Parts: sequence; C-alpha cells; structure tokens
Amino acid sequence: MTARKRVAITGLGLVTPVGNDVATTWEAVLHGRSGGAPISVFDASGFPVHIAAEVKGFDGPTRIGDRKLLKLTNRSHRFALAAAEQALQDAGIRPTDADATRWGCSVGAGMMGVDFADLSGTQAHSAADGELHPDLLLTDGPANDPLAFCRSNCAAGLSLITRRHGIRGYASAVHTACASGGQALGTAMKLIRRGAVDRVLAGGFDSMISPVGISGFCLLSALSPDNDTPQRASRPFDVTRNGFLLGEGAGFLVLEEWRAARKRGARIYAELAGDGNSLSSYRITDSPPDGDGPIQAMRQALWSAGATPADIDYLNAHGTSTGMNDRSESAAVKVVFGPDVSRLSVSSTKSTMGHLIAAAGAVEVAVCALAIRDGRMPINANLREVDPDCELNFVRDAPRSQRVRMAMSNSFGFGGSNSCIVLRNPEETDAAVEGESA
Amino acid sequence: MSAPRIVITATGAVCSGGKSPGDIYASLRAGTSSIGPIRQWDVAHWPTRMAGEVADFNAREMVDDRKLHKLIRRTDLFGLYAAGRAIDGAGLAAYRDTLPPEAAATFNDRTGVYVGSGSGNFENQYDYFPLLAAAHGSMPEFGRELANTVNPMWLLRSLPNNVLGHIGIKYGLKGSNACITSHSCSGSLAVIEGMEALRNGEADRVVAVGHDAPIEPQMVLYYYRLGLIAAQTLRPFDVARDGSVFGEGAGALVLELEASAAARDAKVLGEMLGGGHVSEATGLLAIRDDGDGLARAIAAALDDAKIHAADVGMIVAHGNGTRPSDASEAAAIRTVFGAHAPPVTAFKWSFGHLIAAAGMLETTLALLALAEGVVPGVATLRELDPDCAGVPVSASPQVPRSKIALILCRGFGGTDAALLVRAR
Repeated sequence: MTARKRVAITGLGLVTPVGNDVATTWEAVLHGRSGGAPISVFDASGFPVHIAAEVKGFDGPTRIGDRKLLKLTNRSHRFALAAAEQALQDAGIRPTDADATRWGCSVGAGMMGVDFADLSGTQAHSAADGELHPDLLLTDGPANDPLAFCRSNCAAGLSLITRRHGIRGYASAVHTACASGGQALGTAMKLIRRGAVDRVLAGGFDSMISPVGISGFCLLSALSPDNDTPQRASRPFDVTRNGFLLGEGAGFLVLEEWRAARKRGARIYAELAGDGNSLSSYRITDSPPDGDGPIQAMRQALWSAGATPADIDYLNAHGTSTGMNDRSESAAVKVVFGPDVSRLSVSSTKSTMGHLIAAAGAVEVAVCALAIRDGRMPINANLREVDPDCELNFVRDAPRSQRVRMAMSNSFGFGGSNSCIVLRNPEETDAAVEGESA
Repeated sequence: MSAPRIVITATGAVCSGGKSPGDIYASLRAGTSSIGPIRQWDVAHWPTRMAGEVADFNAREMVDDRKLHKLIRRTDLFGLYAAGRAIDGAGLAAYRDTLPPEAAATFNDRTGVYVGSGSGNFENQYDYFPLLAAAHGSMPEFGRELANTVNPMWLLRSLPNNVLGHIGIKYGLKGSNACITSHSCSGSLAVIEGMEALRNGEADRVVAVGHDAPIEPQMVLYYYRLGLIAAQTLRPFDVARDGSVFGEGAGALVLELEASAAARDAKVLGEMLGGGHVSEATGLLAIRDDGDGLARAIAAALDDAKIHAADVGMIVAHGNGTRPSDASEAAAIRTVFGAHAPPVTAFKWSFGHLIAAAGMLETTLALLALAEGVVPGVATLRELDPDCAGVPVSASPQVPRSKIALILCRGFGGTDAALLVRAR
C-alpha cells in the first residue's frame, strides 16, 4: 500500500482588521495590536454596540483591478479576491490551461446577505409601510437588477474566484457559521488526499459589519458592549470577558500535494495534516460546559493527522471571548490533552483581530502556519485575569519563541459544528516522508 | 486497497409531487406535473406565475415541535422533515436507543450529517422592513429601535446551517458534518462529502440532506429577468423549451458502511458507487456550450466508482429546461457515451427545480426507478431539439440497461456534479 498523500501549505493571503497582507497582519497578531475601533462604515451611534474590527484602508478597485468584476462583488468578495490573489502570488504558482482541471477551490462563505443600500432601496419602493407588496417589486430598482442578485448569491464568491483564476476542478462553498473557514480547509485537504485534484485554493471570507449584520448579533447579545474601549473589548479567557468583537476579512491558502510541491521547489509553510469535525448537538448558540462536541473534533483531527496530544505545541483557540464558548473550549482542551495540557501553549488571536465569522478558521490556520515558520506564538491579548474555569498555558504579554512541531486551530460555529485543523512542521513531515520512501 | 462499499438504507423526500419518495415517484410515473400557478402571493399581475409548491403546506406536519417553528424557516422545515423520515426509516435512533450508554455515545459520534442548503432567502432580510420604515432613513434611529422591532432570534432563524444543527440536537448525532451552500450542486456535494467521510473512516453512517425553498417573489423575479423561467411548462430537451420552473422541498438519504447496516439487519435499498464534481470557471451565470464541465464530472464519477460508461443503465439528466443548459448537457452525454448512451430521463418537468435539494431528491427517485426497472418518460417532451440529438430521451417509459443510474446536477458558478447509484 502506498503511503497516504500529504498536503503542503505553500501560499498565504490575508486581509484582516489588523493588516491587508500577511506580513502586517502577522506583526500585529504576534504582539496583540488590536483592530478594534468605532464602526466607520455606517453610523452605528444608535446601536447598542457601535464598535467592531473593520478592515482598514482597503482600496478594492486598486487591489482587484478589474472594474467589471467589481460590480459583481460585495464587500466580503473584494476581501476574498485580494486574499486569494496574494496566496497565489506567495505560492508562486497559478492554474494554467494545462492543469486547470487539477486545481480545486474550497471556500467558507458568509451568510447570504443583501447589500444594505439595495435592501433600503427595496424597502422604500416596495415596502414603504414596512410590509412587502409583491406587485411593487415588478418596478423596484434593486429587485430587477441582475448585478444586485449576483452579489447576493451564495455561490457568488466561489464563482468570482474560480473564474478569475481559471480553476476547473472540484469547487465548493460551505457555510457552518463560525466553523466555515476551518471546514473549507478540511474539505480541501481531503480533496488532495483522495486525488480529486492536485492543488486547491482554499479559504474563507466574510463581512457582517453592516447594519443588518451588527443587528443580528446585537439582538442575541453576543457582542461585547464595551463601546468606550474597543481595543480591550475582545479578551478571550479573561474573567471579565463579555462577548466578541465582530471582525471581517478573508484568508486564503494554496494547498498542494506534498511531493509535487517539494519537486517544484516550493517554499512550504507547514503540512495541513489533520481535519476533525463534530456536532455539539446541544444548543444552537453554545457548546456544553463539559466540552462535549469540541472534544470529538479535536480527537478526530489528531487521528486524521496521525498525531497524539503530546505532539502539539501550539493551539490557536476558537476563543471568542463569550462566557460559554471559552469555558466549553477550555474544558474540552483539558480533556483532550490530559497531562500534556500544561505544556501546550494557547492563544486566541480573536483577541486582536476580532471574530471574522466564516473567514475566522482560514485566517487562524494561516496564523498557525506562520507560527510554525517563525517558531513564534502570538499572544492572547487583553488577558489580565484568567477565568478560573479557563486555566490553560496562555501566551501572554509577549510572543513566545519556541520551535512549533505541530499546531492546532479550533473553530466552533452557531448551529453546533466544530472544526479542528492540525498542522505539522515541514521538517517533521520531510522526515516522515523519507521514512515512508525508505 | 479497495474502497469500502457504501449502502443506502433509507430515503425521505418532500416536494410538490408528494411527501415521500414513493408518492413523488408515483406522480412522476403517472406523467403528472404538480407545477401550477404560485399561491404564496397574488401573481395575477405577474409576468411569471408557475412553480411547484408543496400543496397544503403545514408546518406542524413537517416538524411536530411547535417551539422550533419560531427558530427556523420554510426551507428548514422541509429539510428536517425529509431527514426525519430517512432517519426513522433506517431505524437509526431506535437502534441506538437499544445500546448500552457507552456504545450509544460511540454510535452518535460515528454518525455524520451532511447537508446541502439553499443558503438563504430574500425574505429573511424583510424582517428589517418595519424597522427601516420606522427609521425614515436615520441610521441612529434604526439602531435605537432595533430591539423593539426585530425578532431577537433573527440571526438564528437565518442561519444556512439550521437543518444540520437541529438534526443534531433532535437525534443526538455528533459526527462529522458539513453544510454545503453551492447553489444547485449543494445536495449532490453533500452526498459526495458524506461518502468521503465513510470511505476515510471519519464516520460509520451519515445522514445526507438537501433542502431549499426558492419560491419567493424577489427570487422568482430575478430568475425571470435573467430569462431562466418558462412561461408555462418545463420541457427538457424539447425544441420549444423556454426555461425552468422552481420547485421546493427536500430529499434525504442514509448512507452507511456495509457493516453498520448489517449490525442492525437494515434493509438495503442500494449502493452509492461514486461521485464527481467540477467547475467550468465561467462565472456565476454562464456555462460552456460544449458541456465540457459536465462531461468531466461524469468521467470523474465513473473513475471514482471504478466502472465504465457502458455499465450505466440510465441517466437522470439535470434537464432544467433552459436552452443553453439542456443543449450543453446533451453535448456532455454525447462526449462521454458516444452513440451508446443509455436511456435518459429528467424529473424536474414534474415538480420543478429544487435548486440545492435537486440532486438529493432525484437520487431518491432514481433508486425507485431502478427498483421498478423503468426509466420514467418525460411527459412534457413533444419534439426533441436537434441540438439535443443523440440523447435517448422519450415521453414514454424506457427500460434501463443495468441497475446503475447516473444522476446529473448543474449549478450557478458553472459547477457540475455527477452521482452513481446501484439499486438492489
């Protein structure tokens, strides 16, 4: 039997609230420089929460270049196109006519949404009294504009990326709320393992910093109401945490079959080594306090990676900064890691970037790849007093310099889907591959 | 190492044609269409009026738990209904409940849920219309009045992955999972990823569900303006075809490793042989004329199933009735099968296009057709389009040449999916 195919991460692209590229984001995340600020994309002064971690200074037209394409995009698609382009550039390889059918694309896409201007336009024309009058839709501007339709479609982001880069293999979009990005990467890993494609452009994108998006989370009281201290608002695992800070952005990775990547001399950040998924089946918004659900996802990811808890040096926690999530995750980590938990370094980079929802998992796996590359682990910002229910070995105050053999990234979503991704240091993988060949 | 066999032990479905795969299949076989004028809103003044709506829609009949109705939407009711029929039909929960606690917990952890979801409706966003009207264009006022006007559960009601989450909660299933939101290929992709979870050892059995409810004014209007909706009748491959018609509902399958099914002496309906999926890289709405993507998806499915084109006994075409899709689909069938295509049929003429649920629903019906040994006729087909020549499709029933069916699906984003099933 031939050894199972392995998957190399050879390119990264990031557009986040703390940087519009990988280098800027990584520096900010390492040192915990928060992207939190008052909301600027609309007047949020009347909302219960009027802070968020917005992507800043992002010039879509310059970054994307193609004006025709821009008309088909919403805000999150522009982040996605920019991050995907960065990842391909970084990897130094692109689909060509000769190999386009051997490239796949797997994305975690945000919820379907209508641009707020389009929604307001339709309300003013077809629902002036607050109720929709279907006959008025027939003469409604946005409701008859095919571009408005294209921007709102669930397959829009995926189709923009596959078309722009000529990707003609397996292409899918998934949405499991905050677990979407992680699940998209897991799907991509399995595509290469089973030989459906040789390379995948994979990632996640989202932007819910809009009147409707902020409203949805405000209504659930899920956001930190610390309007006066936006940079302190996200403090996962702190005893005073009181909700998450909404972020936005995109993360993309280029994934390649390991031997092919080595053969072409690609720079490999890490092996995408394991994927685990579970359902909490508890409540739509929570995992149980004992960590049931996340536990199975982490164990399955370790199994998928052929690893044990003792192999993992760094955990990029889901760590949303909500009361229940952080407690449940901490409990799960203690169960899975047992006696190894004391030497496992843990941080949630949502403390810095906020919560990027469908993009979170992909962005945070990219952070893990950078931690492996540099042997540096980013801090859990804003952690002053650890919640006694969440006692873990947190990276605090300064980045921790230590060779990372393996890293793990958790993403848990509304709806109860839990995604866990495991990465391996390329030196470890090369040694294993050599062993397999021998 | 050969791939493990994956068996199908139960199905469930709902659409305008009926509330079980058997009823829907009977309607199809009788040459009956359940497509008619839309009743969810007054279409008297609308330029487009037809759809396949679920008749006598009753939320309690779909999901008994009335408390849940406040947390989900029409599409979710369909998905939970079809999934429930499949889970009950396979006896999964009943069997699990006979096991000692530890074995029952393992059973839950080893049972996955894979969903293809329509992702969202425009109506979800209309919950903000009263607030927008009250705010008179003032964002601060919008923010201040929010909590007094909008249902606090709005976000949860709008989640594209509600069916996944609520199947888990209702039945206690905790295994691997995905919610795929890739337009009309979503259902087929849920089957493909569910199969993969079984093959690679992530799960012993999975519930696969596809659900959608696209019949709402703004969605129908967009598709109409894009030229995708038929004036009256969906006539796949017909020279006079003029578009598709929406349907709504859900389909569900229970897929298992053979050992999992054997452990409870489950009845086996058939076998899931393989699947393939590709992109045409043509953007959201365009498709290639030459059927290249669909032909490659079929080839990938045959390769995955380790069978040859000649082994295929019948084809359930996507047959959505639009001019470019049917013509390019015919081209793909010619490319793969040459002059030796097996009998071809299509199902959407009878109950409409269920978008994210299409591939799943049509797979449940393909199993029944194979079991009966009949390729159902396409009752609305009058004259084959010369552009679709070489496709052995007929208004009358045909005979499948083997127990294997190929089910095709095409979606926005230039995506094509192919599934292969074998009936017992």
